[in-house]
Formats: sequence, C-alpha cells, structure tokens
Amino acid sequence: MEVEGFNLEGKVAVVAGAGQSLGKAVALALAEAGADVAVTSCTHEPRELKTVEEVAAEIGKMGRRSLAISLDVSLSREVDGMVAKVVDQWGKMDILVNNTDLVFAKPFVEVSDEEWNKVIAANLSGVFFLSRAAAREMLKQGKGRIINITTGLALRGLPNGAAYCASKGGVIQLTHALALEWARQNIRVNGIGCGWFADVPGPQQDEMLRGTLLRYLPMRRLGQPHEIGVAAVYLASDASDVMTGDTLFIDGGVSVHA
Amino acid sequence: MGTAMSLAMAKAGADIVIADKRLPAAEQTAEKVMVLGRRALAVATDVTDSRQVNDMVDRTFAEFGRVDILVNNAGLDAAFKPITELTDEDWRSGMDVNLTGAFYCSRAAVKFMQAQKSGKIINIASGFGFRAGRNYYIYSAAKAGVISLTQNLALNLAEDNIQANCIAPGLFWTFQTRGGAAQVEEAKRMRGRFIPIGRVGEPGELGPICVFLASDASSYMTGAVISPDGGSLAAGFAPTGMAPVIPL
Repeated sequence: MEVEGFNLEGKVAVVAGAGQSLGKAVALALAEAGADVAVTSCTHEPRELKTVEEVAAEIGKMGRRSLAISLDVSLSREVDGMVAKVVDQWGKMDILVNNTDLVFAKPFVEVSDEEWNKVIAANLSGVFFLSRAAAREMLKQGKGRIINITTGLALRGLPNGAAYCASKGGVIQLTHALALEWARQNIRVNGIGCGWFADVPGPQQDEMLRGTLLRYLPMRRLGQPHEIGVAAVYLASDASDVMTGDTLFIDGGVSVHA
Repeated sequence: MGTAMSLAMAKAGADIVIADKRLPAAEQTAEKVMVLGRRALAVATDVTDSRQVNDMVDRTFAEFGRVDILVNNAGLDAAFKPITELTDEDWRSGMDVNLTGAFYCSRAAVKFMQAQKSGKIINIASGFGFRAGRNYYIYSAAKAGVISLTQNLALNLAEDNIQANCIAPGLFWTFQTRGGAAQVEEAKRMRGRFIPIGRVGEPGELGPICVFLASDASSYMTGAVISPDGGSLAAGFAPTGMAPVIPL
C-alpha cells in the first residue's frame, strides 16, 4: 500500500557506511522507497568494500541506480571526491546518510593517543567531512536532507566506552547545530539513535554479556537492522520538512530504563 | 491535529473511532473517514471522566473486535496565568484534560491490548513538556507528565508487545481565525518568525509520523519522543538567528 510521506522517487541518496548492517539496511530501504542510492565504505578494507558492492548490486536489482564507492571517511579530500563523483554522475545530491561507526572499547587510562585520534577521526571528523561536502552541494540546490545514524551511547555512558561515547556525542551536537545553521536554507538534519542491534559489532556479540543485556532490554530482544529503514525513509522524504535537529531513538525502550 | 492523524491512519487502511467531548466535531471527522472508505465511529467522550473513557473503549471493542492503536490527543485547555493567580481548580482541570485523560485512555486500551498481545499507544505531548513558556505552569507540567507516562508504558508493557511513543509537536497552526486568507497567512508568519525553519507546522504534517508510530514500521521503537518542531528544541540557548562569526 502506498502510504503518503514515504516516497523517494526521483531522489539521489548517498549512504556512507553501507558496508555495515545498519547502513546497508538504510540504503536498501531508501532504494525500495524509490531513490537512487550511492553506497560507500568507511575504510578501504577489502571486506568492507565487498559488502558495499553487494549492496549496490541488490539496489540495482530493485531497478534503481547505484554506485559502490571505496572511501576513507577520515580523509577529507576523498570525501570531497566522492560527493563530486555522485553529483557528476547523477546531477545532484538530495540525501546524505552518515553511518560511520568505528566501534572501540578499552579502559580509558590505557587508550593511546593514536587510538583516540582514530576513533574521533572515523566517528566525528568523518561526519564533519561528509556533511560539509554534502551541504556545499545542498546549499547550491537550495534543499537537502542529512541523517546521522548514531547510538544511545551518544547520550549515555558505558565503562570502557568513553572515547567512543565522546565521538558519538559530538555527532548529536552536529545534528543540533547544523539543523539550526541551515534551517532557513532548507537543509534538514536529523538522526536515528540505535539501541542494541543484531549483526552490529559491540558487547551484544559477546555470548556471556548478551544474556544479561537481553534481560535488561524491555523488549527482551536485539533490534534487527531493517527496523530502522522506514524511519530513514521518512527523514529523507519531503514529508518530514517540519523535522530538524531531532534524533529518533529506536532502541526497544532501553534508554527509558531508570 | 486529531483529524489530520485520523485521516492519515484511515488512508493507510485503519478504521477509526473518534472520541471527543464535542460530538458534532467528532461526527464531522467520522464522515471524512468514511469518505475514504474506512469504517468510523464518533463517540462523545469527556476524557476526564474515566467511566466515559471505559465505555468508549469497550464500545470500540464491541464494534470492531479489537483495539490496535490509541492516540491520546486530548488536551490544550489549560489556564495560562501568573502562578499567584492560578486557582486549585485551574491546576486540577488543566492536569485532568492534558494528563489524566491520557492515563484513563491508556489504562482502558491496555486491557484489550494485553489480551491481544499487541498494541500501539501514541501520546501527543508538546515541546513545552521539555521547556517552559510564559505562564505555562500547568500545560508544561502536564505535558512532561505525558512524556513520562509514555516511558513507563513503554518499559512496563514491552513484554506484551505493546509499544508506546510520544509526538512532541512544536508550534503548529491549529487556530481558527476570523478573516480571510491574507490574515491567516500574516498570523502564521508572525508566529513562524521565532522558529528556526521560519514557519509553524501544519496539522497534516503529523499524519506520516502518526502512521509510522501506529504501524509495524516502528516495531523496535518504544518509549521514544519524536519532535516535529522546525528545530525549536535544538535551539533555545540564544535567540534564533543570532550567529556571529568568531575566527580562531
């Protein structure tokens, strides 16, 4: 059934981080809703690029256009190049989904300078580079949508997770500040805050921890990546023009626990 | 807003029960739903009276055999006065309409939803549930209560496969104004000046959000707040538009 507000026909989307389950789910959902979707990796790791290419192929099978792009999101010139390539090929860029997610956990006092810099570079600077490049196009176009895929750990703490939490918290602030900065220029910036999902790296993959986690989750189960798809479609569509600066938390209720 | 959400859900395939204190208004909405080809029932209900609420939900079940989605949208009537002028009755009636009604309706619907092992509750709160406004003592406190009620419904009913979420709208155009289109446009423009995106929201814009929260598309979302507010909550530390450049 065609439901008003969830149609992306004619739109061009870029999903940065489509080699990871959540990014892949969003890319497929946007394509299903009618968008042409360019998909990128976050690093030049061959395994990641292989997944991205598979996603691009799947989108092609849906009858949409797709591009698979190998990208190191911590390098601004590569990010600028990626946006230029998409605009060159398809003439515009309507939607950017930022799904950079370098998962890292270590006792804080043992975290090295290099590890800190790497986490910030991937999770925060990456979003800066991607958003800056995309916004330059979107400001010229007079319209755009940016969706930051983030996590409950952007607002809450977790032992051994300080560096990761700090990098993710910064992204929520980018969502707030950029939403305001571009509010009158028709660029809407929102986020999807993910709880504990299956197929995503993190403590939920640890056999011993998972049992405790499941008992803590109100819904008693991990999320499935496809469960964030429609939210992404809504935030990408024209129907969500009134939304900006907001992050939708899809987390099975975990963040309302006392 | 209630009408907009009812119609959006009807267009997406739902049958709708419209409960409102004012029966003629409810019947008007019911007719619009039926024009869309769905079943509709208008029931005069004062949500501050739990017996009327229970009757309305019982009647819904009797007519339709199930209660899948509850939208708690009753609200707005509250006294906006300096605190020293607010009476006990002002406080009581304002809280009753804006918060207690949501509790009565949720309690009644959950009974059926638990038996079904499925349900969706959508509470309409407000950005004022997070922030204060001029003399918004009652409205803000009640709406903050609605947000908290939503969280508790979500936490406690998750195992029954009932999801509860909240919509916290910013400034929306819900006023009836005298005068022609030009006057309405001017009134909207005046109110829109202080909103980051430069305009107030239109009730129809809540439609897709309501459908999203009422459907399987939000299957892992519970206890959350969606804030369609044109950037208002992201702002609030400085007057909108004040953004000087400060170099390093």
